[in-house]
Amino acid sequence: MALLEISNLVAGYGKVQVISDVSFSLEPGKSIGIVGPNGVGKSTLLLTIAGAISPNAGSIKLDGTSIFGMRPEDIVRRGLSLVPEGRQIFSGLSVKENLSLGLTGRRDKKGSHEAVERMHELFPVLSTHEHHQAGMLSGGQQQQLAIARALISEPKVLLLDEPSLGLAPTVIADVFERLREIIHMGTAVVIVEQRANLVTSFADETIVIRDGKVQSRLTPADATNTDSLNRSYFGAGD
Amino acid sequence: MIQSILDAISLGGLYSLAALGLGLVFGVMRLVNFAHGELITIAAYTLVLTTQFPLLLSLVLTIFVTALVALIMEFAIYRRLRGVSPAIMLVASFGLSTVLQRVYEFTFGALPKSAVVAPSLSGVVKFAGLSITISSVLTIILAVVILLAMGYLVERTSLGLQLRAASADFRTARLLGVRSNRLITAAFVLSGVLASFVAFILVIQNPVVNPYYGLNITILALVGIVIGGISSLRGAALGGFIVGVILSGLNTLLGNGRVYSYTWLFITVLIILLVRPGGLLSKGSELERV
Repeated sequence: MALLEISNLVAGYGKVQVISDVSFSLEPGKSIGIVGPNGVGKSTLLLTIAGAISPNAGSIKLDGTSIFGMRPEDIVRRGLSLVPEGRQIFSGLSVKENLSLGLTGRRDKKGSHEAVERMHELFPVLSTHEHHQAGMLSGGQQQQLAIARALISEPKVLLLDEPSLGLAPTVIADVFERLREIIHMGTAVVIVEQRANLVTSFADETIVIRDGKVQSRLTPADATNTDSLNRSYFGAGD
Repeated sequence: MIQSILDAISLGGLYSLAALGLGLVFGVMRLVNFAHGELITIAAYTLVLTTQFPLLLSLVLTIFVTALVALIMEFAIYRRLRGVSPAIMLVASFGLSTVLQRVYEFTFGALPKSAVVAPSLSGVVKFAGLSITISSVLTIILAVVILLAMGYLVERTSLGLQLRAASADFRTARLLGVRSNRLITAAFVLSGVLASFVAFILVIQNPVVNPYYGLNITILALVGIVIGGISSLRGAALGGFIVGVILSGLNTLLGNGRVYSYTWLFITVLIILLVRPGGLLSKGSELERV
C-alpha cells in the first residue's frame, strides 16, 4: 500500500481551478519530484496536500487514511509536513523557538528532547546558532532550519517547495545531501523544483505538470537527456 | 508636577493594556476588533453591579463575564467569518459593536449606572508635601504587574510562542501544527481578561457607566497599536503607552484649551506615521538571505 496516494486531485483558489487532474503515489523511503513551468500549480498542489488550500475533488490518502479537506494542523499530526516556498521561517524568533514550533505538530510529545538532539546532529549549524535570531542566518542555514522544523515532528512524508530557491550552488548541493540522508532514514519526500535537471536526477520518479495535469513521468536516466527533458517540460513541438 | 507625571504614566499604562488586548486578537486574526470597547463596557457594568460583593469576588466575576462575552463574540460571529477579507471583518466588528451597545442599553437602561467601586482606592494621599491620587499609583502598579505577566506569557510559554508565530504568519504556524481554533479562543479570552482590568482601573476613576463606556479608550488604543506597529504585541503595548502619555501631557499643558487635546494628539500621531509608516517597532522590509 502506498504511503501517500493522490488520485484525480482538483484544487484552486475560489472559482479559479489551478490543479485539474493530478494523481501519483509514493512509497516509504522513496522520493518524487514535481517540475513544470511557472504558474502551473506546483505550489498549489503541495499546499492542497498539506491542508492549507481546500481541495475541490479527488482523493488524498496518507497511510491508507483519507486526509482530504482536513485542517493543516491535523494533517501534520498524522505525519505529513511541508517546507513552504521561500522557507517561511519566523525571522523574528530564535532558531530554538522556530524548532520548538515544529514540535507542536508531534504526535508523541515525550520524545521532544531527543528529536531536537537529532536535528542538531543532522544540521549542526542549528546547534551553534541556537539562540540567534533566525532572520540573521544565511539563506542556506535558513533552509536547513526550515527543513529541520518540518522534520522535527517526525513526518512519514515531507513535502518541500523549491528548497533550492535563492541558494548558491554549493549550498544547494549541501541541502540535497541532507535530503538524501532524510530519505535514507525512511522518510518519503516530495520535492517541487524549478531546476528540472537537479530534481530529476535526485528523485526516484519525477512528474511533469502542465495545465494543472500530469503530462509525463521521468526517471533519473532522463536527467542527462536534455531533449527528452525539454520536451516533457515545455511540451512536444513547443 | 509629580502628580502630572504620575497621571501621564498611569494613563499610558491603561492605554497600553487596552492596546495589548486589541493587539492580541489582531495578531492571530488580522481583525481590528472594534467591539473590544464593548468588552470593556460589560466589564465596567459587572463591576458597578456587583459592588455589594467583596472586591476580589467582584473582580473575578467581572473577568469571568467579560471572557465569556469575548468567547461568544468569537464563536457566534468571528469564527463564521474566518477567511473573509479584513475589510469585511472590520465592518462586522463595527456592526457587532453597535449591536452590543443597543443590547446594553436594552438590558441596563439608557441612563448611566453608577456605584463607587473600591472607595478606598479613589482617594488622595499626602506624601512629602505632595497630594497624590491613589488611583494613579494603583494604575501604574497594576499596569506594570499585568504587562510583566503578559510579557512572561508571551515570551516564555508555549502559548506565547504560538501567539507570536501566528502574529507573524498564521498559515505557516498552522502548517507546523499550531491549532488555530484553540489559539484564537485563547487570544479572545486573554483580550477579555485585559478588558476587565482596563475597566477596573477606569471605574475607579469614573464610576458612571453607560453603553458607550469603552468606545473612547478603544479608539485611542487602536491609534496606539497603529503607531506602535500593528503586528507586534510589544509595539501595541508601547503605542498604547505613548498615546496615553501624550494625551495626559496635552491635557496638563493646554489647561483650559484641553478641548484641543485630541487635535494635537492626532497631529502628533500623523507626524509619527509620516516618519515611521509601519509603526515605531516595524522592522522595515527584510532583505532576502541567500
